[in-house]
Amino acid sequence: MLRLLARRARAQWPLLAALLAVVTIGATLLGTCALLVTRTAGRAIEVVAARAAPDDVKVTAYNVTVRGADAASVAADSRDVLTSALAPFPATTATRVSSVNRSLPSAPRVDGLPAETYLSGLDDLPARATLAAGRWPRAATGRAAALEAAVLEPTARLLGLAPGDRVRLGAELSVDPAPPLDVTVVGVARPLPGAGWDRDPLAGAGYDLHFEGQNPQPVHAYGPFLVDLADLFGSGSLVGRLEVTARPDLSRATRRDLDTVTGNISGADRRLAGALGDRVRIERVESPLPDTIGRAREQQRVTAAAVLALAVLGCLLTATALALAGRLTAGLRTGEHALLSALGVGPGQFAAAATVEGGALALLAAALAVPASSALHAGLTHLAPLSGAGLATGPGVGAAQVLAVAAGAFGLAAVLVVLAVRRAAPPADRRHRRDLLARSGADLLLVAFAAAGWWQLAAQPTGSGARADAVRVVAPALVLAAGAALALRVAPPALRAADRLARRARGLAFPLAATEAARRSHAMAAGLLVGLACAAGTFGIGLDATWDRSQRDQADLSVGTDLALTLAAAPRTGDGAAVGAATGGTVSPAADRGIAVGQWIGSAGDPPRLVAVDTARAGSLLRGRLDGDRGWAGVGAALAPPTPAGGLAVPAGAVLTISGTATGAAPVAVTPRLLMQDATGLRTACDGEPLPLDGTTHRLPDCAPVDGLRLVAVALPILPAGPVDPGSSAVAVTLTVPGTAPGPAPWTATSAPPAPERLVAPAAAATGTPAGAELRMTATASLGGPENAARTLVATAFPDPGPVPVAISGRFARELNVHKGAPLSVAIGTTPVALNVAEVLPSVPSAPGAAAILADLDTLSRALVAAGNLDFPMDAWWVGDPAYPDAAARATGLHLGTVTTRAEEAARLAGSPPRAGLPAALRLLVPAAALLLLAGVVLHVTFDLRARAVEVARLRGLGMYRREIRAVLLGQHAGVLLPLVVAGAAVGALATYAVAPLMVRSDTGAVPVPAVLPVWPWAAEAVLLALLLAGALLAVAAAVVAQARRADAAHLRVAS
Amino acid sequence: MTADLVSVRGVHRRFGSGPASVHALRDVSFDVAAGTMVALVGRSGSGKTTLLNVVGGLDRPDEGTVVVDGTEVTALDDDGLSDLRRSRVAYVFQTFGLIPVMTAAENVGVPLRLARVPTVERERRVELLLDLVGLADHAAQRPDELSGGQQQRVAVARALAASPRLLIADEPTGQLDAETGLSVMALLRGVVESEGVTVLVSTHDPVMMELADRVLRMHDGQVSC
Repeated sequence: MLRLLARRARAQWPLLAALLAVVTIGATLLGTCALLVTRTAGRAIEVVAARAAPDDVKVTAYNVTVRGADAASVAADSRDVLTSALAPFPATTATRVSSVNRSLPSAPRVDGLPAETYLSGLDDLPARATLAAGRWPRAATGRAAALEAAVLEPTARLLGLAPGDRVRLGAELSVDPAPPLDVTVVGVARPLPGAGWDRDPLAGAGYDLHFEGQNPQPVHAYGPFLVDLADLFGSGSLVGRLEVTARPDLSRATRRDLDTVTGNISGADRRLAGALGDRVRIERVESPLPDTIGRAREQQRVTAAAVLALAVLGCLLTATALALAGRLTAGLRTGEHALLSALGVGPGQFAAAATVEGGALALLAAALAVPASSALHAGLTHLAPLSGAGLATGPGVGAAQVLAVAAGAFGLAAVLVVLAVRRAAPPADRRHRRDLLARSGADLLLVAFAAAGWWQLAAQPTGSGARADAVRVVAPALVLAAGAALALRVAPPALRAADRLARRARGLAFPLAATEAARRSHAMAAGLLVGLACAAGTFGIGLDATWDRSQRDQADLSVGTDLALTLAAAPRTGDGAAVGAATGGTVSPAADRGIAVGQWIGSAGDPPRLVAVDTARAGSLLRGRLDGDRGWAGVGAALAPPTPAGGLAVPAGAVLTISGTATGAAPVAVTPRLLMQDATGLRTACDGEPLPLDGTTHRLPDCAPVDGLRLVAVALPILPAGPVDPGSSAVAVTLTVPGTAPGPAPWTATSAPPAPERLVAPAAAATGTPAGAELRMTATASLGGPENAARTLVATAFPDPGPVPVAISGRFARELNVHKGAPLSVAIGTTPVALNVAEVLPSVPSAPGAAAILADLDTLSRALVAAGNLDFPMDAWWVGDPAYPDAAARATGLHLGTVTTRAEEAARLAGSPPRAGLPAALRLLVPAAALLLLAGVVLHVTFDLRARAVEVARLRGLGMYRREIRAVLLGQHAGVLLPLVVAGAAVGALATYAVAPLMVRSDTGAVPVPAVLPVWPWAAEAVLLALLLAGALLAVAAAVVAQARRADAAHLRVAS
Repeated sequence: MTADLVSVRGVHRRFGSGPASVHALRDVSFDVAAGTMVALVGRSGSGKTTLLNVVGGLDRPDEGTVVVDGTEVTALDDDGLSDLRRSRVAYVFQTFGLIPVMTAAENVGVPLRLARVPTVERERRVELLLDLVGLADHAAQRPDELSGGQQQRVAVARALAASPRLLIADEPTGQLDAETGLSVMALLRGVVESEGVTVLVSTHDPVMMELADRVLRMHDGQVSC
């Protein structure tokens, strides 16, 4: 038998080569996919770790309340715990220490509130702040020497400090207070954004005039006094916070080490507690590193599921191609089989021979596929998107790859064995009926499985963490196979219709081609392969386009605008102009924060979001897909105020003055707060000192450092400046703005909540004078009640907007069961603001999937101002249509905060290392499908023409020209190919619409927001179909031409 | 005397080259009168099929000339040979040579379609020919639904469809039993009588030889009367 197999292999080597090629293609595809989901995926985790922002991998030990004597040892032990947890990665550590508050007797006493301050020590201070004046503090030279300190700019300004000044800090405000100490200011510093100042007790602001630390009453807090860390430890001060942050160097991370470190970090809390004992009151270790790696692993799992689904599809295609090749082989060996059967060879021997042949093929294919898949994988990693994701790698062999290749090769070879063993067939009519029944049953079963798979895909949890199961992995292949099988059922009736039509023709070529196409029993495997390959190819392109579109949609909605600059510190006048100059786009201040809606604060970690921008320019600013034909300009127009705020133009450097009078015996003072607006809509408050209303004119601080500002509101808290008089006082205040004239819009005056009744008859009017514009504000204040009771006169250059019109997200509407026109109330800070729902949107920009509110920032600010709150609710700058390609870098250079761009986010989503495997696998699937389709067509046509050689020769004998024979053969094959290709494309299109959206997940594994929109890229699909048709027809044409040329007497001789 | 429809002069045909070459026809010369039935007999490998293929223009001789109905076949190009087979020469093959996916009527209509005969006329002629061969009731059946004799009758009807001058039949009864073969022979004889068609038929069948007007014997590539 072995000798027979060897001789047959020599005689039929082209056939065996074709079989080997098909098995090798399938095994190579599997091997490459195995490498994508193992080697590349593993490398992706390492790249994610290596590329992670330092803050995403840091590990911080937080220690609260440490005795001064223990502080240094606690810091050292904390460092040891962290560095050992991060081993074997090298790590750098940074320590930040803040003492508990001390009194600050030298601070000016305002409003009768005490002043407090604190010491801080940072061992990497120059990396976190820039020097505005002086130098950085150095360690004290002797015990008696005063500590050297640097202060932040606002602290220096408010306390009147400059380098060289000596300040006495009072005793600690603790149970066992450390004594007062002296510090010498040697430098004034400016905090750098994103440098961890959010961990400072005053968040790096330098002061808080209503600090509510641990005291029941607010105090004026200033600080920190930044001293050398060793000095702080040596000062004996009780440490309120001691933080040690370790940042590992993960540039050479390996998966195993990352797993080790992740485990260590989870146990670091316990180890820190054990190491520190009772030297600290509270200790804790926190790190985003496990989450960072966990997110990457989640993305990897999501990608692996999709890649496996594509691998299954590729495997199915290969099996179909092999089934075709197997059937053709069986057909070719029919005579040999009959002869051997007649000679007494039994079914078992045939099976054994087929197994040996299949096994040899599988071995050879596996031997070829292992290096081929390694090379293909290496090539893929050097192409986008894998190369862009830093995943380029050289050829390598992995255990999973070898297993996949071997399993694939032997599994596919088993198809050949089964086909060879199934050769013994009952009589034709019985076989036909039985096959028909079996096919119908198989089709129905396939459709049922496909429906179940689709349902499983559709029923995936919407949240993250959905694990891929086997059904979901095979579902796309099942749907495509079922579609192709059904499409195969549609092709014969179409061909029969063409046959009926062709019979009316007078000539022979068309009717003969149509008849052959319609009536010849075509190999089902060939038809299935053509349909399935076409469906897989078109589906692959559709899925790729759908996935890419979804990533861009997600990026659009997640950033919400083209460029977002999230502020690290409070905005300053003039920042808007700087952002505009750096980006060249449409600039708007933006609020983007969590809020409380009435009593509702949302679910844990997912509060309702407020997004507010200048909606009058929403068309240029907002991004994210809207439903229907709505546009952001239309949505924004419904939210924007009818007219812009007028106000008084304030020239740069103008000296504003204020004077006022108050009736009654008790002296009355006001603390003016002016709201200035720049050209971008940014509103900043300019605070004055408390001023007595004694008829004298007072100069206000410099409120207009830059040009283009307008005064849009003034708040005047009215306070008794002496003993409280229970009566009332008629107050009149005049604010003079030099060098300007009042606009036509009237000013509005109101008494701000929460006790508006304490101020009656508020009025405001702007008039022009030779000196400039005068804003006169009057009211009658009721002076009884607590000293700091609210009596705030607010004058605005706009009317009270009433309920602020807002657009809410669909989730917001569902969760609160509110609709268009519904009233809402939200708290901005502590100020309640009334809202009215004007629109319901699928999602709000920058808040994808969240319960969120979109409002006009100007209108929102007006409502706040009308309520006496002049704080501008701003968290970021949003820029639409930036003019410069390097706008992001230029905006980052402003050092105002963190810059995020829509384009970068899209690139991150589409090209992040754990996700880049999917597009890479798609780039593998489409050519593989095309290759297998062409191979199948060539095999089928070649065998078909060979089988019909005699028939073709007889047609020559009947007098057909060679060109007519070519036309008949071409027409026949084109007539079969074309409907199959069209049907396959239709199945691909249906799958793109029904399955592709279900295969796309977000980077967290959740259902993407906005919902995935299926994309059918007509141009790319048309090119693929044209290439497939052209390639197939070219192969057919070559075979037909060769066959027509050989159709001569020799074949007739054979036949006779 | 009846004019010759076929004239073969000095035809040689070799297959292969060198010492392994086969000399299938050696200086073959003969004539066939129009309206006669000539039987070509000889053992297998004697060159009968090669000679028929050369006469019908399916093969080209290495030397010599063949004239059919006044046309020198050996001078025609590929299209000319096809034209000849369409209009003046028809074949009946041993294995019938029907197109399996077509019905009997459609198979008979193939030469008429090649000649672009109008549909109505084609259908009338097909009906006539099927009636002639006794298969009017089997017009809609495909070859695999017909017996061997019926298939060969369809092949004869197809051969006659374009009213050829010469009908070449290569062992038309080779795959038929004696009774069926006889009926096919009778049919061919009838065709000669009724249609005036010249028939050149290769056969081993002694009955066929009896029905023939003339018998040409082939031996080792040579013809003797």
